[in-house]
Amino acid sequence: MAARLAEEWFAICGGCEVTILDIGEPLIDVLKKVDIVHMPVIMDHKLFGQTGENKELEIPEADVGLISGGIRNEEHKKLAVEMRKKCKLLISLGSCACFGGIPALNNLYSTEEILQKVYRDSVSTESNGLPREEIPALTDRVYAVHEVVKVDAYLPGCPTTPEMVANALVAILEGKPLPPLASKSVCDECPTKREKKAVSTLKRRFEAAEFKPGAPLSEMRCLMEQGILCLGPATRAGCGGSDGTPRCIRAYMPCEGCFGPLSEKANPMVDMMGALSSIGLDPKQIPDRAPTFNRFAGAGRLRPTPKR
Amino acid sequence: MELNTVQEASGAGATAVETFQPLIIALCCNWCSYAGADLAGVSRIQYPPNIRMVRVMCSGMVHPNLVIEALTKGADGVLMCGCHPGDCHYQEGNLKAEKRAEAIKLMLGDFGLEEERFRLEWVSAAEGPRFAQVVRDFTEQVQKLGPSPYKP
Repeated sequence: MAARLAEEWFAICGGCEVTILDIGEPLIDVLKKVDIVHMPVIMDHKLFGQTGENKELEIPEADVGLISGGIRNEEHKKLAVEMRKKCKLLISLGSCACFGGIPALNNLYSTEEILQKVYRDSVSTESNGLPREEIPALTDRVYAVHEVVKVDAYLPGCPTTPEMVANALVAILEGKPLPPLASKSVCDECPTKREKKAVSTLKRRFEAAEFKPGAPLSEMRCLMEQGILCLGPATRAGCGGSDGTPRCIRAYMPCEGCFGPLSEKANPMVDMMGALSSIGLDPKQIPDRAPTFNRFAGAGRLRPTPKR
Repeated sequence: MELNTVQEASGAGATAVETFQPLIIALCCNWCSYAGADLAGVSRIQYPPNIRMVRVMCSGMVHPNLVIEALTKGADGVLMCGCHPGDCHYQEGNLKAEKRAEAIKLMLGDFGLEEERFRLEWVSAAEGPRFAQVVRDFTEQVQKLGPSPYKP
């Protein structure tokens, strides 16, 4: 019997759904064994019955549930609870579901401040007051899915990698446990050359790294040593997949931290600030430290700056 | 941990005034400050009982997340003590601590805490009286700030 799959998306761009498609040819074999019962991005499956006849929202029973996106409003919250009820195995797909992701940068401001800015203060907006009817209320902040319901497995990344999704789906279909996430940091997988553990000045964000085009990555100097903020030390490895080389490094770009912190309790900002200041960088030089270091891990880590 | 409160009867009325007794974590390096604290003890110098001392091998091993974690999980202040610059048992551990202290103070703001809740002091093994004075000053400073907003 084919495994039933339900997928739901919350506060997200949709990139992680594209990643599923991006699996490529192996997807054809996987799809033969999967029966998709609910997936708003590709299916017209209504939550309250096809003609809106039901009073309670309902998602069909499924063996596997994928949730992408963080929880931003009351509708997401209800759907997450319903997904948990109906799915035997619930997986957070992508960094937004795992740690809040980009939408969780919202957590730097209170919901009132955001509504004020978007619907009233923005110069390009004709202020007509806040929308009140027929839309779900915003939650007080952006939550990762596991902060609201229990989640069985995580597939982080922004977007997550096709290889990881494929491996997870194949493991589920074969009845095996999901492959565990790497416990190492991105630096452990990074092939660049480390010369001296010191950094004194930072390059601006869009200044390019120094490297010889065409030469292997092992000849490029560590980006952090070049003065480019790289989140490698505080980020979980695994984005490179079987290739092993981190995705951004492959493109001569610094790690942005999309695979999330190394442990549930770690705060990449504290780790990175500690590491950078102890090797000689003036911590005041680091622009926007909280959103820079917690760009993808804002749920539960970013908070509005307190007023004094 | 329990909040210690000292009740004092005020002179004018019958209402009792509670003095806030902060909980302060003191991270002292094994070679200088811990010995300095020891000296303060054997010399019977009085200082407030608000500190809970943790001996660390070097102030340079105190990573900022230890300080942040202490302050976000119930401590009202963190005092970090190391050897005077140049006296470090490990050559330059205390200089590392000094650099980190600045990052810690910046981050305390992000966590909604006053930067005065953290202090880095140099106390040598011979400075028992100075250790007592540092503890008195810092306790008073934290007392003025009141309890940490993270206090359960």
